[in-house]
Amino acid sequence: MVRAIRGVLIECEPAIKSIIVHLDSANNDIIIEDLDETHLVVKENMVQVLKQKLDDRLKETYRPEEPLEDSE
Amino acid sequence: MSVAPQSYQLSDYLEKLPGTTFRKLYQQPSTAFAIFRRMLPPLAKVFVQALLYMPSPLLLSELDVWVRPEGKMHRDRALSILRSLHIIQITPPGRDKPQEIQLTTNFKNSLRLALEGGGTHNSFGVPSKLPVDPKIDIAHLDNYARKKWEDILHYVVNSVPVHGEGGGGGSGGGPKASVKELLLAGRLVERRPDTRGGVGITQAGFTFLLQEANAQVWTLLLLWLEAADHTKAAAGEHAKGPAMPDSIDMLSFLFMLASLELGRAYDTDALTETRRNMLPALVDFGLIYIPREDPRQYLPTRLATTLTSSASALRSVSSGFTAATANNPGDASSLGIAPEATSKGSIIIETNYRLYAYTSSPLQIAVLALFTQLNMRFAGMVTGRLTRDSIRRAIGFGITADQIIRYLASHAHEQMVRAAAATGRPVLPPTVVDQIRLWQLENERMRTMAGFLFKDFDSAEEYLSLSEYAEEIGVLVWKNDRKRMFFASKFEQLRDYLKSRKKAE
Repeated sequence: MVRAIRGVLIECEPAIKSIIVHLDSANNDIIIEDLDETHLVVKENMVQVLKQKLDDRLKETYRPEEPLEDSE
Repeated sequence: MSVAPQSYQLSDYLEKLPGTTFRKLYQQPSTAFAIFRRMLPPLAKVFVQALLYMPSPLLLSELDVWVRPEGKMHRDRALSILRSLHIIQITPPGRDKPQEIQLTTNFKNSLRLALEGGGTHNSFGVPSKLPVDPKIDIAHLDNYARKKWEDILHYVVNSVPVHGEGGGGGSGGGPKASVKELLLAGRLVERRPDTRGGVGITQAGFTFLLQEANAQVWTLLLLWLEAADHTKAAAGEHAKGPAMPDSIDMLSFLFMLASLELGRAYDTDALTETRRNMLPALVDFGLIYIPREDPRQYLPTRLATTLTSSASALRSVSSGFTAATANNPGDASSLGIAPEATSKGSIIIETNYRLYAYTSSPLQIAVLALFTQLNMRFAGMVTGRLTRDSIRRAIGFGITADQIIRYLASHAHEQMVRAAAATGRPVLPPTVVDQIRLWQLENERMRTMAGFLFKDFDSAEEYLSLSEYAEEIGVLVWKNDRKRMFFASKFEQLRDYLKSRKKAE
């Protein structure tokens, strides 16, 4: 029987996807379906949490420069 | 990585209504006419006009003859919209009978009535026979509507936590308590004890602020309709209350208001009791005006009469803000279909990301503070910078880079516009525009889209037919034939399609 499951489709780079999969592996409470290398379906109510976690994770490794420092 | 700002639109609301609701709605010629006018793409209008006076159903295959083969996608979209609005009926595909298409009865009859006139439906309002105070002219109405709407915008904007003394000091007492409740219920603002005024703006609130005025009005009205439904559902459990307005009647009343003439007085006695009960709320929104001396009359304002006109005829977000931020209270022309000339730009932005705005309007300063790091405030001018953090924060609120760029471009100081025109360059420095976009990309590590995953199909054939149908009506987002799964942005029509397919078998 065909099923329709409500969720949020996420499209991202494979690297980001692997972080999401890793975040999910703790409790398995985020991902509904792992579609392919660049697509995932996640629970609607977890999107904000996921973003926050992903942000935190990226902050650890990634810090771009301001393009122009101002002297005020 | 923001979620695409989800603004609540009329089409989304209508799509969720059941067919019986539409049958009731379409009993009113004004509703049928308004839906025809506002909600349909051009090809769909062509179809409706062609079918309107057709005595018998048309074979679907004959409709195909009207459309060039390369226009098939437009045809399918048009039919899909017409079907979701319950304007057309298409017989289900059967083995022995070809598919036929026709307009639904109520819609057809009402649209004919609307075009030909006649009937005693009073669907387009009853003009008041009483004399109208000559002081209440169109300028007066515009002024009044602007004031009301500005109060609402001020209320939302003032809930922004502004650094320093940027915001604050909105004019007057703000909107009525009922409107505030509505903004709270619609989560455009939320209760936050730590902010001034006790409420803070939400992401939806930011999106609301940057919408064009017409979309803003509809957002608020739809919240109102939903709130009424909740109240009715809560009350209806126990007793049949006296004349509780239901959202269907409210909606058709709004469509009727949209068909009225600006500057003309209409008779409140000709309204049903439920509709008369709606008038105070509409006054609070600034959609209608009721003279204090004579409550038997009501006059629609421009906010009401432009509800269903085409979007291009309406004031844009920029002139909307100009209207809301205009310091000259006599400048009534800044509301509605005002000439763009009234919107005088005030923002100068330099290639080093510094921004100067010649304004003292709290509303405009608060809007700027959404995406700018404001540093200094002088009499009649503020200065600041666009920084990675300030843009990031704005994007975190749900504002898009394009919204910011459009806002800056449409509010650019005439000096910038002149300099750009003289040298043949774009108004905003390209480095700044590109950098704003880059900052957004940096934040958008993933794109999100709400919808439905379809899986566990019984057969390859079932998968193929449904996914193809999803693609035809333009709701297919992702699919994988091998896994037999696809993701669609909407599911109502797919569900109906599955049902009718089961029946045909």
